[in-house]
Amino acid sequence: MFINYEHNNHVYNVTVERRENQFFITYDNNEYTVIATEQKPGQLFIQLGDRVIKSVISQGDEDKFVFIDGSIYKVKRIELTGRKKTEKREGDLHSPISGTVVSCKVKEGSPVKKDDVILIIEAMKMENEIFCQNAGIIRSVYVKAGQAVENDQVLIEIDPEMP
Amino acid sequence: MFKKVLIANRGEIAVRIIKACQEMGIRTVAVYSEVDKNAPHVQIADESINLGDPTPSESYLNIAKIIENATKVHAEAIHPGYGFLAENPDFAKACTDTGITFIGPTPEVIRLMGDKIEAKKTIAHADVPVIPGYHGVKQDLSTLLKEGKKIGFPLLVKATAGGGGKGMRIVHAESELEQAIESAKREAKSAFGNDSVFLEQYVDKPRHIEFQILADQHGHVIHLFERECSIQRRHQKIIEETPSPMMTLPLREIMGKAAVAAATAVGYTNAGTIEFMVDGNQNFYFMEMNTRLQVEHPITEATTGIDLVKWQLRIASGMELPIQQKDLIQRGHALECRIYAEDPSNGFLPSIGTLEKVDLPNGPNIRNDTGVETHFHVSPYYDPMLAKLTVNTENRVESINKMIWALSHYVVLGVTTNISFLKKVLDHPEFRKGNITTHFINDYFHDWLVTKEGLPLDALIALAVYDSLHTQRQEVVRYKEADPHSPWQHMGRWRMGV
Repeated sequence: MFINYEHNNHVYNVTVERRENQFFITYDNNEYTVIATEQKPGQLFIQLGDRVIKSVISQGDEDKFVFIDGSIYKVKRIELTGRKKTEKREGDLHSPISGTVVSCKVKEGSPVKKDDVILIIEAMKMENEIFCQNAGIIRSVYVKAGQAVENDQVLIEIDPEMP
Repeated sequence: MFKKVLIANRGEIAVRIIKACQEMGIRTVAVYSEVDKNAPHVQIADESINLGDPTPSESYLNIAKIIENATKVHAEAIHPGYGFLAENPDFAKACTDTGITFIGPTPEVIRLMGDKIEAKKTIAHADVPVIPGYHGVKQDLSTLLKEGKKIGFPLLVKATAGGGGKGMRIVHAESELEQAIESAKREAKSAFGNDSVFLEQYVDKPRHIEFQILADQHGHVIHLFERECSIQRRHQKIIEETPSPMMTLPLREIMGKAAVAAATAVGYTNAGTIEFMVDGNQNFYFMEMNTRLQVEHPITEATTGIDLVKWQLRIASGMELPIQQKDLIQRGHALECRIYAEDPSNGFLPSIGTLEKVDLPNGPNIRNDTGVETHFHVSPYYDPMLAKLTVNTENRVESINKMIWALSHYVVLGVTTNISFLKKVLDHPEFRKGNITTHFINDYFHDWLVTKEGLPLDALIALAVYDSLHTQRQEVVRYKEADPHSPWQHMGRWRMGV
């Protein structure tokens, strides 16, 4: 079976075949044969050659969380059906958090540099400075002070500076 | 001793206090807001009261509602925990006025220490060194700008009513001062309802070292040694340890005496903490006093064997503190990490969601303080700290190794946490050497903040195995159909082992 996983805007294509407790996994033109058991729901014990991989996986509403050696990765299983996804425009500022806009430091047409503070959003009683990711010119500002914003909402559109 | 205590808090600290009360045979009353109705602190308490609306001002910060309910259930005392109403003199006074014992110092002392300017003036009179700065009442912009220039740069703008890094800004140059003052005032206004700020000299290579105090109502004050809390992000502590790797016997002696002098000068009672800033030349300055139990109190408990929460209860009930300073010894080393639902690679922004799985590390000398469990929803209403992990061992090296092991086995799935970040900090060569300041995270992990690690091969293999295991149900169906008399046929829609 073919599976596509998305993590941090990167897609990983994996195939997996199962025979009893043996799994044949291909990724990036390499094949890995592993022996695996699910010791408790979501808790996997995997043998890859002389190496052991211990992992705990949970299935949320949309995302899976993978725990490996103290690190946790948020992963989404996606279907690549040829339907083009609406791509995030480079440079646009998406809200990294749900909260309330305290102030907006830019207006349309103003030039911005990377790491400029563009907005201040209050969440969990803290003012969070939102930094500009890319240099450019502000095309449009969709928020104003006092407005509540959702996670990932587009706040500001930026025309990236041409190199 | 009290028969019934109400705990005006939530999360891990409410759980911690309830357990101490129960061990002492005290009946406990939890309070909760709508979103916390199934939270662990509600489950373990003997009684609980619904405060309704999750907005803090309507629930955990609502003095009238809490006092009214405490009276209704005949609670003799209220433990405020930390945060929320813990350092609110009006709350302490409202308790006293209603005939309920507030477990903490008197309202007057809370008010005095809560005003950072007055606190410094009072403490300076007790011959405890304080840092140069402007602590005046004139709050207009031109006065602040003028005073700021007089102190010089870098300097610190700090909310008078502040705490936890809220309403605090570092200013490196004169050109940044005006904006920093305005921003700090705005944040202070919204967090504390008071926009007054002070300015002070910014100390080079500063360490944050604090002393735990216990004081009874009969004038006996002791300190329970220091805690090193220099590892901070956004001016909030994330890793604390005791003893401090920089501490020497003579310095501990002097600072401990200063801490006791400071507490004595204000007539302090109950558990409290004197925070000092220590510079690269071992000069120390009084910063502020926290008139409550600290988040990081477990490391002191681990190295002294003293249960601070139980002593808070005993002192509040009027008991004399029988422990003498000379009898106290510090054994071994303890380390605490705060587990936050936040994203260290994205400016430590809080992460919200449902905890799909929580599985905590266990072992000798590993302590978990937690107020969450599997299926708990981390909401945007409250502080994103989920739990605390404390280890204690013979020495600092052992503690670091044990903590790294424990963090590597700490499973919290469903929100982004700071666990892997904590591990990286602990394993940093400079941390291991004990070369830490309050700038540590900024100095060594600034780049890390923007690094997004890719998915490792092991994670992909585990995911593929997981999905392969969980999409094989057709086979089971086929077995079922093969035998029409199988008892599985009559099971209905139950699934096994899922």
